Amino acid sequence: MRTQRGAEDQYLILDDKKVQQEQVSFASPTRNRVTWTIPSLHCASCVWLLEQLHRLDGGVLSSTVDIMRKSLTVDYDPQATTLRKIAEALASIGYAPLIRLEGESRSPSSTRGLYTRIGLAGFAAVNTMLIAFAQYLAGPEGVDVVLRNTFNIVAAVLSVPVLLYSASPWFTAAWASLRQRRINLDVPVAIGILALFIRSSVDIIGGRGEGYLDSFNALVFLLLIGRLFQQKAFDALSFDRSYRSFFPLSVRVFRDDEAEIIPIEQVRRGDFLIIRNGEVIPCDSTLESEAAYIDYSFVTGESSPVESLRGQVLHAGGKVIGNAVTLIARKEVAHSELAEMWDRTWKRAHRKTFLTVSDTFGRWFTLLAMAVAVGGAMLWLPDWEMAFNVFTAVLIIACPCALTLSAPITLGSAMGKLGGLGIYLKNVGTLLELYRVNAVFFDKTGTLTEATHHLEYYGKDLTAEQLIAVRAIAAQSTHPVSRSIADGYSDTNATGVLEFIGTGIAGSAFGHHVLLGSRDFVVDRVTGAERVLGKHGVTHVAIDGHYVGCFALKSSLRSGIAEMVRELFRSGKQSQVVSGDGSIDAPVLAPIFGEDLLNFNCRPEDKIQKIETAQAQGDTILMVGDGLNDAGAMGTADVAIAVTEDTATLVPACDVIIRSNAVKGIAALLDYAKRVKQVIVACFIISIVYNILGLGLAVMGLLSPLMAAILMPVSSLTVIGVSVAGARMSIKHLQRKIEETTACS
Amino acid sequence: MFVIAILLIASICVAACFLIGYLWASRSGQYDDMHTPAIRMLFDDRRASGK
Repeated sequence: MRTQRGAEDQYLILDDKKVQQEQVSFASPTRNRVTWTIPSLHCASCVWLLEQLHRLDGGVLSSTVDIMRKSLTVDYDPQATTLRKIAEALASIGYAPLIRLEGESRSPSSTRGLYTRIGLAGFAAVNTMLIAFAQYLAGPEGVDVVLRNTFNIVAAVLSVPVLLYSASPWFTAAWASLRQRRINLDVPVAIGILALFIRSSVDIIGGRGEGYLDSFNALVFLLLIGRLFQQKAFDALSFDRSYRSFFPLSVRVFRDDEAEIIPIEQVRRGDFLIIRNGEVIPCDSTLESEAAYIDYSFVTGESSPVESLRGQVLHAGGKVIGNAVTLIARKEVAHSELAEMWDRTWKRAHRKTFLTVSDTFGRWFTLLAMAVAVGGAMLWLPDWEMAFNVFTAVLIIACPCALTLSAPITLGSAMGKLGGLGIYLKNVGTLLELYRVNAVFFDKTGTLTEATHHLEYYGKDLTAEQLIAVRAIAAQSTHPVSRSIADGYSDTNATGVLEFIGTGIAGSAFGHHVLLGSRDFVVDRVTGAERVLGKHGVTHVAIDGHYVGCFALKSSLRSGIAEMVRELFRSGKQSQVVSGDGSIDAPVLAPIFGEDLLNFNCRPEDKIQKIETAQAQGDTILMVGDGLNDAGAMGTADVAIAVTEDTATLVPACDVIIRSNAVKGIAALLDYAKRVKQVIVACFIISIVYNILGLGLAVMGLLSPLMAAILMPVSSLTVIGVSVAGARMSIKHLQRKIEETTACS
Repeated sequence: MFVIAILLIASICVAACFLIGYLWASRSGQYDDMHTPAIRMLFDDRRASGK
């Protein structure tokens, strides 16, 4: 795992009484309960392993996994074990828990209330339908008056809890939006529900008939089903992560000549921090040690480590590689550059999403329905009873229930399906934004290519003896690149080794004098430097005073990229590469994109500018990137996809997070978004046709309870059926693309 | 015609039993997680050795 935190004492903070109180959701002398998110939880064997936790730690009474929410609930005996021991046991088997301190805890979204609402509405719907059937099918002589009145009263009694409890979410939502002087689609739904109930009560009390209570209950039931779909889709998301999730909880500081461990929030300016191998720097600091190698892959996506010297500023988010270093904090954690960049990019400008579109639609729809209702009633006017009937009938039939069902159900089932493929959408509207995309910008490293590099030697062939000499000299340095050149070589055969911190190393071994280091370091000391290979080599090599070649990072293209890009071009979508790196990978990418569409050496500002230029030409841009160095570009683009190697990596603000193995499915994803949009449009048309049909009947005063009882559930059920089937069937192509070579590891 | 009233009472009683059962199930958390139990049943039951 890339985000492994090296420190064995990083969970010491869990011994703190106050922290324990925050973490534990239930406490008694013999049984405590804690729930943690486990980011690396992903398959059946994970569930098995984590539910066997009591074998690792005898104090664990039981452990229960929820795989959709990626959470683990542990019941433990506080006398036999501690929170810290449990966390350490989890970390030791590779499931480091994500521990949130105060103010960050995630409120558990419970669907229990929703299930209760659905149960009640379903119960009432079936029974009122049974009662209504008796009356619909009674034949010309009708049902006996006493019986009929009893039936209707029973139906009304069954319906009251549905109105007051099951349907309450729409009343609260409609009221909230009216108070903000806005009309969204919840308003006509609430009006429709209310009109159904009031009209039915009036009919029943006045003895004019059985009312529409069966339609009312069925309608609320179906609406709740739509809401359940939405809820399920939201549950599968875990977008509420902040940079803090990737930081250590505590840090070792020196205060009054004493080392102590404090929560990182308590770090003050001027504190001396000790950061060891593999630990993350929590705040912007100045380096106090001689030299340090910092891996900023968290922040920039680039995995080659950066060397810093004493007095230089180190940024929060860097990981220390090699020896432990001492730093002086410059800023508090919350004011570090990373934290501020994070806050900035996550506050993305509010864009026109489907939800606002449906709000506008809702406003016109409601006004129109009101106008038709009032107009229809006026036509009948001297006849007050008929006018009231028409007025309520129009409001009933205008209730855009099929309409409100189509988008959440289609998008909700699409989101669920996509989640299973490793594609996580931030919200339901994202799919509709993806549909509009007509140009795609790719970052290179970590997006098109694998995030991890391996060293490759370029230059004159080396004899076996020369090679071993190079390795022996490299072994004398602690530089991470030298370490990988040494490749495990550890004998000390080298003599006269001189290390120049930050530039290179020189020494002799096996009868050869070897120089290893930066371009300038090597070129200044040798002859034959006119043949120096590209400036991108990380480490240059000279042997016995002659330049021979260099070691460079080589990255490899992810599988299926070429085909995916071809598919994008075929469907008329411009695609180009904007990379912060040098052009070393141009030969690999040129055959795929063409020379013109490769942009190397782009700074973050250049990426933003390229996107803005394309937007000015009317293009809708999708930016695919992975590191915080793409954050600006991703914020500017209309839609942003972040690629992540494992789900525990820090990702910049985006609309979609996809697993790295799903990158090859991006073209198919855009295609899928288009199909989903078509499904929703189809549902819109179906429901509007039903509404117009019903409106005609209502205005003519022909909307009998029987008609309503058939028309309303049928329209809703058609829409639900089309939505679910549409979302599921059109995903086949995408599924094939991604699953070709993917298997659960 | 009165027979329909008896039918109705019977059907509401039966449905009410189901409703109560359903409400109990949802309140006791059986619908909270519908994915993990499907995986959990794949594991072999171990004999009660320790906990």
